[in-house]
Amino acid sequence: MTLEKPVQRGTGRRARALAMLAVAGLVITACSSGGGGSSGDTSTVTVTYQQFGGSHVQEQFLTGVKAEFEKANPGVTINLQPITASENDYYTKLQLQMRTPKTSPDVVYEDTFLINSDIEAGYLRPLDDQLNSWPEWNQFTSTAKGAARALDGKTYGVPDGTDTRAIWFNKEIFAKAGLPADWQPKTWDDLLTTARTIKAKVPGVIPFNIYAGKGLGEATSMQGFEMLLYGTGSTLYDNNAKKWVIGSKGFTDSLQFLKTVYDEKLGPTPQQVLDPNWNNNVSQQLTPKGQVAISVDGSWVSHNWLPGDANPWPQWNTVMGNAAMPTQEGQAPGKVSMSGGWTWAIPKNAGNPDKAWEFIKLISDRQHQLKWDIDNVQIPVRPDVSGDPTYTAANPTNEFFSSLVPITTYRPAYALYPRVSNEIQVATESVITGTADVATAAKTFDDQVRSIAGDAVMTAAGS
Amino acid sequence: MTSTTAASTVRPQRAVTAGKAAHSGARPTLVRRGAVNLVLLLIASCYLVPLLWLVLAAFNSTAGPAVTWPDRWTFDNFRAVLTPEITFRPMLNGLILCGGATIVTMVCAVLAAYPLSRYRSRMKRPFLLTVLFMTGLPITAIMVPVYGLFVQVDLIDTFTGTILFMATTALPISIWLSKNFMDAVPIELEEAAWTDGASPMQALRRIVLPLMWPGIAVVALYTFIGLWGNFFVPFVLLLSNDNLPASVSIYTFFSQYAQVVYGQLAAYSMLYSLPAVLLYLILSRRLSGAFTFGGAVKG
Amino acid sequence: MSSLAVGSRSSGTARRNAASVTLLRGMPLAPAVVLLAVFLVGPILYCVYSAFTDMALTGSAGSDFVGLDNFTRAFSSADFRQSVYYTVIFTVVSAIIGQNVLGMVLALLMRAGNRAVRAVVSAIVIGAWVLPEVVTGYLWVAFFGTDGSLNHMLTAIGLSPQNILFSTPILAVSIANIWRGTAFSMLVYSAALSEVPKEIEEAAIVDGAGTWRKLLSVTLPMVRRSIATNLMLITLQTLSVFGLIWTMTKGGPSNKSTTLPVFAYQQAFQFSQLGYGTALALVLLLIGAIFSLIYLRALRLGDDPS
Repeated sequence: MTLEKPVQRGTGRRARALAMLAVAGLVITACSSGGGGSSGDTSTVTVTYQQFGGSHVQEQFLTGVKAEFEKANPGVTINLQPITASENDYYTKLQLQMRTPKTSPDVVYEDTFLINSDIEAGYLRPLDDQLNSWPEWNQFTSTAKGAARALDGKTYGVPDGTDTRAIWFNKEIFAKAGLPADWQPKTWDDLLTTARTIKAKVPGVIPFNIYAGKGLGEATSMQGFEMLLYGTGSTLYDNNAKKWVIGSKGFTDSLQFLKTVYDEKLGPTPQQVLDPNWNNNVSQQLTPKGQVAISVDGSWVSHNWLPGDANPWPQWNTVMGNAAMPTQEGQAPGKVSMSGGWTWAIPKNAGNPDKAWEFIKLISDRQHQLKWDIDNVQIPVRPDVSGDPTYTAANPTNEFFSSLVPITTYRPAYALYPRVSNEIQVATESVITGTADVATAAKTFDDQVRSIAGDAVMTAAGS
Repeated sequence: MTSTTAASTVRPQRAVTAGKAAHSGARPTLVRRGAVNLVLLLIASCYLVPLLWLVLAAFNSTAGPAVTWPDRWTFDNFRAVLTPEITFRPMLNGLILCGGATIVTMVCAVLAAYPLSRYRSRMKRPFLLTVLFMTGLPITAIMVPVYGLFVQVDLIDTFTGTILFMATTALPISIWLSKNFMDAVPIELEEAAWTDGASPMQALRRIVLPLMWPGIAVVALYTFIGLWGNFFVPFVLLLSNDNLPASVSIYTFFSQYAQVVYGQLAAYSMLYSLPAVLLYLILSRRLSGAFTFGGAVKG
Repeated sequence: MSSLAVGSRSSGTARRNAASVTLLRGMPLAPAVVLLAVFLVGPILYCVYSAFTDMALTGSAGSDFVGLDNFTRAFSSADFRQSVYYTVIFTVVSAIIGQNVLGMVLALLMRAGNRAVRAVVSAIVIGAWVLPEVVTGYLWVAFFGTDGSLNHMLTAIGLSPQNILFSTPILAVSIANIWRGTAFSMLVYSAALSEVPKEIEEAAIVDGAGTWRKLLSVTLPMVRRSIATNLMLITLQTLSVFGLIWTMTKGGPSNKSTTLPVFAYQQAFQFSQLGYGTALALVLLLIGAIFSLIYLRALRLGDDPS
């Protein structure tokens, strides 16, 4: 490297340095944009929701509602402000925004999974007064009304639908294995027997996909483990005692079931299932390719195969069949399902709560919920929507998954649930990878829950 | 660190005589030289495979995760991601944010490096140590109070605030590096200028800066690359989607489509890497030839 | 006390002490100091405070002072100890050994290599350095994946396919970090080596020293200051690597690539326990400080005591 003689070129350098400073100044002054949020401005209603994945269904739906609302309320602007991020980051940012009136949105989209945490943090306002004077609230099922009811007895959100979980199976693979197209397992053993038959007769496919491990997060807890646990008669949380349940036989039985599936190689390999994208891979790629025989998954899965979505698959309806998830020994009610769903809520710091409520009323009326539940393949929470012939006609699986609503269970989505759920995922992972046996994994879970929940823990009866 | 600076005076001329030695040294035999070249190329080919995948997959309509020669070369992947929403607006935002922050960082770091390099003070060592430890700070850990601060002072969702904060996160390492580069510039030249009546700032501008351009280029590049890839800071500090830079959009693009559309991912990665690569090319040209960052980085 | 330009102690006596001079000379520091004080020191102090509380982003309103609870909880947690272990592994393997040694090897070889080869190699290595972190992460996920280039190459030469993202994820992220970061060390060392007077090296050869002997007893000692400084910088940078690991493995599977920054992020944002998360970040800072003090000590020991 030869250095240039500095002094001779000094003026040029100086000019450039000055220009640089000037640019810096310009950039800084020119680029200040207005602050976000909605403080004190009653002519704007900011609506924040999660925008993720290839689907734009919600964006299109809300854009439609926005136009209607603005037409009916002249002078009011709906500011759709989606947060494009994975669920975790969505919540982090939403919570930060709700902490202060300056940046708080007016209407927020909250998963029932976390709404209780945000209620306890004081981010949301109770909606009881508004709900009591809103006749349509009576149209909601009582479970749905409870979805956003906190421990203080107040209701903080209006659900826009729910989901249920069950078994998807590939009838073509079943035919090859000599199994019936109207298959309905009665017990866990039925499930295992069928999976073993498929493994023996149709090599090269995944006989029985059930989620496990930390990579998939809540999909492991809900579609995987809890679908088992809630079919054993055990539970995760005792609603009467208001305590988390540990040491239950159902817990170890469920882990043992997963262990059997993975040890006998009836399911995916641990390597596959620990990939955070495995569930998308199953629904978007492997299932349409006919590589998965049985899968425990959500009511929304067919969403992926509709025209205009990520992976259109016109034949899905003739190829795929559904069956309810059986209970462990076939004990009543014979089938099990888990439900989640999202709600619309108003932050405590909202600058425009009245108009926000008007917006929620509009979006939650019969006509809009009908459109939303059809477009997004959701299970309605209003009987007048689920009974609507256009709803049942819209998707061939709608009737089946809606029929699970009477027997479904909601997660105990209290503030500590995310951490308990994480311990479930850890337990399943250590069992399927063989890093711990069932008893050890269950014991670790018990210890962890004890340290997370402190006094609010009870040991299951009979153990 | 005082000892660090002292060392530069022991061999004051070395920065000037630097780079020349680069390819002379002891004269290896032809065989040895061939072996050396071979080993170098071997290492480089290990480096190349992932990069090769990026380029080949971007132009392949049926790209998978492995390096394969495209059956058919195509621009479809680029066409699919070259939309205002996915590419253009986030890239522009990113350029304003990261470019602005890099300029702010460089101005502040070079100014700060001058007294740190040229004067002695009791405060210097503690100050430099503090700055050094700050380089290891995980910025994600402090974003919650920073959000609170930004709301208080009304900087939330503004480019100004985000630029200033991003610049600040890059300052510790930039100050530290700049100070070290400046130490390599012999002080005798400045002393001559001082006797001619130049002020320290004039000396910095006329004598030190021109001699440490390679160092400045390294720091600027280092700063820009770091900021260009930063997801969490702009994600937290900017609220409107229209303001978000490419680092946020590529992050979400990746997590949405990972393992599905490899070709588009690769195409987007190439586009996204372009500003950093261009900046390197521009800066390396300034440095007259291949990687002569030389003479500058040292203790 | 504060005048004197370094190394020209006599000339400094002319312009002397008055406090105003100190102030004037310190002026160029002002913009940087103001920015650091407002945007970093303030929030850091707040974090130090919150590390002693049970502050949470959600799940409870308000926060209580809990003393050292977060720290005792950390040190008694197996997950925490494991993350410290992986942090050290990651730093030692990818920075102290990987980037550092490979960077030095490249720099040494470059000196003896062809001009054209040098240009090609440095362009490729620096190309890897300028790529954004997320891109690097995905390149390597694709490379190591089940159907990735690595397995294609392994099966092509008759070996069985591997999946180190699954079996030894910490090694996978370390390799990616070496790939990404070596250019920096290479540049530092190239610069330092170019300053080694060739007369000294030649003298060693005349004295009959072989290549290795010359390297170990002449060349490396002459650039030891650069080595120590570079080690310090890359150690601090590597300790806080988050984006690369998060994109590649999210810390899994089975937490086998969860380093402290990943662990702290999970606690603070996945489980909303800000207090605990910031306490973990402070521990990370402490580890960085310990590393730096060791290097600084080494730097000073290697020097004349003046």
